[in-house]
Amino acid sequence: MTGTITEAAGAADASAPRVREMSMQQAVNAALRTVLREDPRTLVFGEDVGALGGVFRVTDGLQEEFGAERVFDTPLAESAIIGMAVGLAMNGWRPIPELQFDGFAYPAVDQIVNQLARMNYRSRGAVPMPVTLRLPSFGGIQAPEHHGESLEALFAHVPGLKVCAPCDPQDAYRLLLQSVRCDDPVVYMEPKARYWDRRPVELAHDPGDMPVGRSRVLRRGRHATLVAWGAMVHRCLQAAEYAAEDGVELEVVDLRWLKPIDAEGLAASAARTRRAVVVHEAPLTAGLGAEVSALVTERAFGALAAPVERVAGFDVPYPAGPLEPQYLPTIDRILSAVQRTLEYKRP
Amino acid sequence: MDQVLSGEVPLRYAVEGDPAAPGEAPPVLLLHGYGSNHELNWLRTGWPAALEGRALIAPDLRGHGGSGKPGDDGAYTPERIAGDMVRLLDALGADRVDAVGYSMGARNAWELALRHPGRVRRLVLAGFGPRDPFAGADLHALDRDSSPFGRMHRVAGTVPGNDLDALAACARGQASRPFTPEPAPGVPMLFAAGERDAVAADAEELAASCGAEVVRVPGRDHANAVSARALKEAVRGFLAVEAPAGGPR
Amino acid sequence: MTDTTERTFALPDLGEGLVEATVLEWLAAPGDRIGRNAPLVELETTKSAVEIPSPYAGTVVRLHAEEGEVVQVGSALVTFAVEGPAGEADDGAAGQAGIVGRVPQDGEAPRRRVRLRPPEE
Repeated sequence: MTGTITEAAGAADASAPRVREMSMQQAVNAALRTVLREDPRTLVFGEDVGALGGVFRVTDGLQEEFGAERVFDTPLAESAIIGMAVGLAMNGWRPIPELQFDGFAYPAVDQIVNQLARMNYRSRGAVPMPVTLRLPSFGGIQAPEHHGESLEALFAHVPGLKVCAPCDPQDAYRLLLQSVRCDDPVVYMEPKARYWDRRPVELAHDPGDMPVGRSRVLRRGRHATLVAWGAMVHRCLQAAEYAAEDGVELEVVDLRWLKPIDAEGLAASAARTRRAVVVHEAPLTAGLGAEVSALVTERAFGALAAPVERVAGFDVPYPAGPLEPQYLPTIDRILSAVQRTLEYKRP
Repeated sequence: MDQVLSGEVPLRYAVEGDPAAPGEAPPVLLLHGYGSNHELNWLRTGWPAALEGRALIAPDLRGHGGSGKPGDDGAYTPERIAGDMVRLLDALGADRVDAVGYSMGARNAWELALRHPGRVRRLVLAGFGPRDPFAGADLHALDRDSSPFGRMHRVAGTVPGNDLDALAACARGQASRPFTPEPAPGVPMLFAAGERDAVAADAEELAASCGAEVVRVPGRDHANAVSARALKEAVRGFLAVEAPAGGPR
Repeated sequence: MTDTTERTFALPDLGEGLVEATVLEWLAAPGDRIGRNAPLVELETTKSAVEIPSPYAGTVVRLHAEEGEVVQVGSALVTFAVEGPAGEADDGAAGQAGIVGRVPQDGEAPRRRVRLRPPEE
């Protein structure tokens, strides 16, 4: 399984596009190999990322290739993991710490918010924090408590942090390269439910024409825009397939960057389709969908035929595995929201 | 649920049922093999289900799993490990146990029964024989030793939580007290091993001198006999209250 | 009359980077009724032998590997017939996702009931 990655990422000829089918796990692994190889200041560390290769095999084989000084296991102490990343970054390293699961980030919030996010500001720009915090995120794999949380709104709210969430292997590869090469701290949220998704990936060393903060339109449509990130992008694409059967053409926007957020891209799409529905796994109240709704409304109000709809998780703690299908936005909830925007009549 | 008995060398252990409950059948003390731990050796191999109805005490031996890992060889002699077991049984209020050991665990269960005769009712020695398990091994250079034991040592190093230096000290501590068939504990014993278990190759010889039976599991070796249904059934039968125990010698 | 559904259980990730295991002994045979968590199969990896408990209560329909055969993580191990309608729990051949969780199944898109009407233009 990992042989493919080694072979793919191992070819040194950067000029030839190299396309391989791989899972998102393997794509993140390949991206980590790329940055570890290109920059001796990069370090990968976290709980079980070394000898074990990560609970999802994302760091498989990295310690073997790059040694235990650059890829290493830490104690089960999330605050210490981020604290160490801050200290290393202050001394010129480019740390890529992993917090094993979304819910395990809470013990590290003090270090993330009070140190990592504001060190650059505090030092008047003298001390950049080129830290990429890898955070396996969101639900969909029926895991126990603390393993299905969506923390994007929390981190997007913190000045000084950048936040991104890929939805497929290619973008996982590209966004990780961008995150590591960026001099600001980035919270890189990996959608666990898409780890096994296999697609062709071009292992290009240049993230190309997709600058930090740019969203992308994955499907064109003229009746309404669906906005999502992470695993919900896939669900929106499925909903768009169904809608097409009914003659409704939905546009699907993969937000990708949750901070900075692509306000112009969102507004442009919503202005074209005149309707927008934002979909996320996190609870509705004060979720990032509210921000998307506000941005679209502020920038495209005149063009909108209906209020922006939000389809989200419920305002409850993330439920136990068997209840996930009831909690996560379903195709039907997405289609119902679309229908409300289609039927909307101004009072 | 795992618990830890504090002390100079803390011991992690798992308990099932109430080891202090009065009754005819005493709790079963499960002693794992070299480089393993209670979970790998006993829990993941299905022993709790096989011994259902019996209280179980399954420690990580010192130097292993979640227990303390002293650095000096002298901390790992069989008498020190037997001492740990007595300390654990005392803490749990278990006066008497049936002891089941696999491989190095059997060596130390033997020691426990020998040194503390009142504490062990019946003794199962699985994956164990009188041969020197360290034969041909350079215990001071296990990181590159090519003997069967050296190879096993390095496989043990890939088990999360294992510390190769502590394990090497454990091997030297155990080897410092070579096993002798005499004196033998005066309790009913059962020997059990895979048919192809090289470590237990001469178990029949030892069993004969102890007046005990040997159960052999067809097709199995030292590494894979521990989970075998036939082995579990033999042990359960031997430990059952109503089974004839065979008199002590 | 209760529906039964076939559920295939794939070799779970046994941890520690292991990618395959050898079937040592089946502890259930086709046609056997088996309880959840009852001993199902004994496997050996390069590191240890393990007994895998049954993930379902039901009847064993098919074993997908012979004793002595090497099975890759994620490959089908055994198929059960379990009571309950299809689609109740979509975890048939899912297998474990790693140390926690299950691999989501993408085989077919979730069903839908809601129908859309295009806007009048």
